[in-house]
Amino acid sequence: MTRIQKEKLFSKALGFLTLFACSILAFILFAVFSRGFSAFSWEFISSEATDFGAQGGILYQIFGTLLLMFASITICLPIALGTALYQSEYLKSSFFQKAFKIFMASLNGMPTIVLGLAGYLFFGKFLGIGVSWLTGALILAAMILPTAHAAILEAIETLPEHYQETGISLGLKPNQRILAVVIPHSVYGIVTGALLGLARAGGETAAIMFTATAFSGVSIPQSITEPVATLQTHILILAQEATNPTALANAWGAASVLLGIVFFLILGAKSVRSRLSWEPEQ
Amino acid sequence: MSRFADIDFFHWATFAMALLSMTLGVGIVAYLFWEGGPFIWNHGAQFLMGLDWFPDEEYGAAPMIFGSAAVTFLALVFSTPLALASAIYTSEFLDPRQRLTVKGIMEILAGVPGIVYGLLGVSLLSVWIRDVFNLVDGYTLLSASFLLAIMILPTIMTLSEDAIHSTPAEYRQAASGLGLSKMEILFSVALPHATPGIAGAILLAIGRAMGETIAVMLVIGGLDRVPEPWYDVFSSGQSIASKLGREAAETLGFGEHWSALMALALILFFLVMFLTAFGNWLIKGFRK
Repeated sequence: MTRIQKEKLFSKALGFLTLFACSILAFILFAVFSRGFSAFSWEFISSEATDFGAQGGILYQIFGTLLLMFASITICLPIALGTALYQSEYLKSSFFQKAFKIFMASLNGMPTIVLGLAGYLFFGKFLGIGVSWLTGALILAAMILPTAHAAILEAIETLPEHYQETGISLGLKPNQRILAVVIPHSVYGIVTGALLGLARAGGETAAIMFTATAFSGVSIPQSITEPVATLQTHILILAQEATNPTALANAWGAASVLLGIVFFLILGAKSVRSRLSWEPEQ
Repeated sequence: MSRFADIDFFHWATFAMALLSMTLGVGIVAYLFWEGGPFIWNHGAQFLMGLDWFPDEEYGAAPMIFGSAAVTFLALVFSTPLALASAIYTSEFLDPRQRLTVKGIMEILAGVPGIVYGLLGVSLLSVWIRDVFNLVDGYTLLSASFLLAIMILPTIMTLSEDAIHSTPAEYRQAASGLGLSKMEILFSVALPHATPGIAGAILLAIGRAMGETIAVMLVIGGLDRVPEPWYDVFSSGQSIASKLGREAAETLGFGEHWSALMALALILFFLVMFLTAFGNWLIKGFRK
């Protein structure tokens, strides 16, 4: 075999493996949506679950997942933005810069189940909020903080140097610079961070399964100390009833909706990042 | 505005937020130490090496540590060749548009929620494994490894691809000028240059696999025993994370059982932190 032939064979083999790797996603989408399709109807997403989720729809589960997602990003975003701004605009000490990096990394590396348990003991027990959607939202906010923070910080740090310099030469104080230069020009980072954070919060199960959710008999919570039902825990319970075909069909239906929500957010984040990010100017 | 400009509201507001996130990071780690540390200190080797786990009698972490190590190792064995092959092909043989498409697909694959993998694992994968290998049930270490292999594929693939792709163009041109073919450039220039980045990618993937709870918990079988013989991947097992997921609800915050679980969590946290930090260091250090 000549060099050229060898190379052709090699690249063909690699190409085949790449195709295989990409087809895993196609397989997952097909497996979930084709099975979810049979359960899926307007009624399914607009009525409540009955018979412990084996019958009926997933209205309150969708509501609970969305509630947790949006509550957690609402709590997380000001903290992530504030931290990123403080680090980039005010913090001079390189020791603390490093410390921030390490603590964000440790929060990011923290297995979510551990975060959920520790968060429950602090928010649920110590602060007395109990098993409730607020506890879940606070835990998820801590979980997605590194994601949102990283996206925002990256946007601020890649801001072209002369924007900041122009601001300084106009005599703007740091707070004016933040309002006039930094925030308007890193909006895409804030939006990307928020969308990725939402996607991560929506896909998380382990952190909320003991801390924020109840399986049945829950509708729209009347106060901040009540638990919600979520798609994730709904699937978790139904998945363990693999022998009951209707329950399983409902699990696939719920999984389709969850997958749809998460993909929508990730694709949104991708398109925001590619459309609004700074083109290198050289 | 001019009056406000004198009082730097932002300085204090952002400082408060920064302090809050710092406290959160420090607080949770400190909490883990507080709850789990004394238990490891008091029981030491007996805890780490113990083979049996009976709440309120005996706490041995060895089956869980073994389980985590076994499923992670197997997941790497399944995942790494495929991930590296696609990383090489994407970086070296695809045009920029196709490259972005493949990376986009990997990004979406990385976003599939753990519970969806869990559902696929319970109702498809474990059934296939049971039928193919003629087992009593499909909840085995092998099933968990397969799921994890798919879950860490995007991590290894994307980060390795970044590493290979970042080989400076001058190196490639120099090699090309010497008459090397694409494949020879890959093996003699690009891959050696990318090795630290690839190693970092694999470490991050290990960290991710170890921390994964929900999907593993559903298919691993939940048996607190080191398999007999130890290489029997068709037996049920337990990982540290799945143990926490299964048992923590019973004992939220109370007694020795809880301390033992938090000691497990502490071990898991240290493993993941170490791997992630080392992996990040390899990836960043080599970019410079």
